[in-house]
Amino acid sequence: MAENFEQHSDISAADLARLNQEAQAEATPSTAKIIWNEFKADKPAMAALIIVVGFIVFVMIGALFINTPKMMETNIMDYFDKPFTDGFWLGADSGGRSVAKQLIVGSRNSIGIAIGLTIISSTFGIAWGLVSGYFSGYIDWGMQRVYDFMMMLPMTMMIIVLVTIIPHYNSVSLTFIFSIFYWEGTSRLIRSRTLAETQKDYVAASKTSGTNHWKIIFKEIMPNISSLIIVDCTLSFAENIGVETGLSYLGFGLPNQTPSLGTMIANANDPSNITLYWWTWLPAALEIVVLCLSISYIGQVLRRAADSSQRQGAAD
Amino acid sequence: MSLVEIKDLKVHYPIRSGFWNRVTDSVKAVDGITFNIEAGETYGLVGESGSGKSTTGKSVVGLEKVTSGSILYNGKDITKADNRRKLDYNRDVQMIFQDSLSSLNPRKRIEDIIAEPLRNFEHLSKDDEKLRVLQLLNIVGLDADALYKYPHQFSGGQRQRIGVARAVATNPKLIIADEPVSALDLSVQAQVLNFMKKIQREFGISYLFISHDLGVVRHMCNNIAIMNRGRLVEIGTREDIYNHPLHIYTKRLLAAIPETNVNQRAAHRASRLAVEKIYEDQQSKYYDEDGMAYPLVQVSPTHSVALPETIAKQLASQEGEVQA
Repeated sequence: MAENFEQHSDISAADLARLNQEAQAEATPSTAKIIWNEFKADKPAMAALIIVVGFIVFVMIGALFINTPKMMETNIMDYFDKPFTDGFWLGADSGGRSVAKQLIVGSRNSIGIAIGLTIISSTFGIAWGLVSGYFSGYIDWGMQRVYDFMMMLPMTMMIIVLVTIIPHYNSVSLTFIFSIFYWEGTSRLIRSRTLAETQKDYVAASKTSGTNHWKIIFKEIMPNISSLIIVDCTLSFAENIGVETGLSYLGFGLPNQTPSLGTMIANANDPSNITLYWWTWLPAALEIVVLCLSISYIGQVLRRAADSSQRQGAAD
Repeated sequence: MSLVEIKDLKVHYPIRSGFWNRVTDSVKAVDGITFNIEAGETYGLVGESGSGKSTTGKSVVGLEKVTSGSILYNGKDITKADNRRKLDYNRDVQMIFQDSLSSLNPRKRIEDIIAEPLRNFEHLSKDDEKLRVLQLLNIVGLDADALYKYPHQFSGGQRQRIGVARAVATNPKLIIADEPVSALDLSVQAQVLNFMKKIQREFGISYLFISHDLGVVRHMCNNIAIMNRGRLVEIGTREDIYNHPLHIYTKRLLAAIPETNVNQRAAHRASRLAVEKIYEDQQSKYYDEDGMAYPLVQVSPTHSVALPETIAKQLASQEGEVQA
């Protein structure tokens, strides 16, 4: 059979290296290159990328050098120290604890939970949506009823109950508890796009080329909805920072002795803190605003990179 | 023995309605059609949109779930997914799609697109695979620099040729061409069709050529089947269909071929209107009381038409055809 092709084409094995080189010279740039060009073309997004990556690296490494139990000890002498006094860059709170150190450890905890939650819930939600949308029929029906059941559960109440009945929970178990409830939105979104995508001819072409279902789902369809996936992941990352923060603010997030952005913002519960001791809550609030804005900027760039008609970066 | 034998193929889609969402009726996309495709020939399947020709093509390639009937390939019924798997059926039967853009995955490079069937069926080494892809590109008249590009960087005609290259990659016996050129402009149509003919000559491939364009079908096909509302209304050689059409539906399709000779515009218009008038007046003669086509009746060894036997005989003698 190979002879058959040899006969009707004047290309033989001898030409392979030369032709390959020619093709390589004309090759379209890789996805990573395109994304990088897109960042270079958009200065605010580049700044956002540097802020987010730099900040995450800084708190992850910085938190390693802080002895949390010691930091959380009450020291009445430093009661509400102003910033830049007694060696507290950002002042101290009602327990005389350093706000700056709490911010570093708290950010590490909150961002760690948000990253873990985004990875687990998005992976599961995307897989669920893809499989459900691709197979349709009875499989879709069954999977969507599971989805409906999960949506029906009162999410916040369930999390609070689970947090209360689990004896020794920490940030890891909290991440898993959140993950049980936060995959649904993603899965429904992905399913609806998959339903449309499955009808396209390239899926039929893959089927007639003998590719199996799982390969079609994850290697053919998934790259084609990657822009949706990327945008959804970045937005849900920003949202997930809020999830942990919100619950900690209410007092059902991380345990009391573990600082997080939520517990720091909870300082603003006290009217005198809001007016007199602004340094106890303002840094954490500002951090969340800056982080979420930066993340959504990055998400926009990724979306533009995924869609060739929206690109602003240099062609190559 | 024919390469593919289609026997009484039916594809019905259920219509659900009412409070309990029960099946109340069905759309008969394909309603009992029978024909054979011989090795090395181009078989034309013609009809208006919605007549079920694409559904037929998809059933043959195994993309559509068949309601009843059988499609025999090498004596095996390939309407069953199990048999298709055992035979490596899609290695031998491939498809060219109408919309060249949507049939090529926009996120894959040309090399990966053309190599996809090779990777699934032939398991070549990396260098052999690349060589085969380059040869295929060469056969359809594209240069090696296409290898690492994406589908959106090509024109419609080039994309359709990439689709052709993918379809012939595993050296199949039959290719279903589902309106392969109807989305292309005329000059590019000729180019793609000539590549398809060239490949057929060189590799001895059969085509099931699905089209609504009778001009293209005349250029490509030896045998033609005309489809209307899920049934076949006329089967015959190119000669039979173009020179001795018997069914009114065939005549209407033929009258609809655009004529470029402006001097005869009036005459052409008159003949179109005459055919349309016969169709309006004599529908009851050509279709049964439900508006469906009759079963096929043979009028000559190669020519069958879907009419009651007496009318078929009478029309055939009017047309001066050799009786069976």
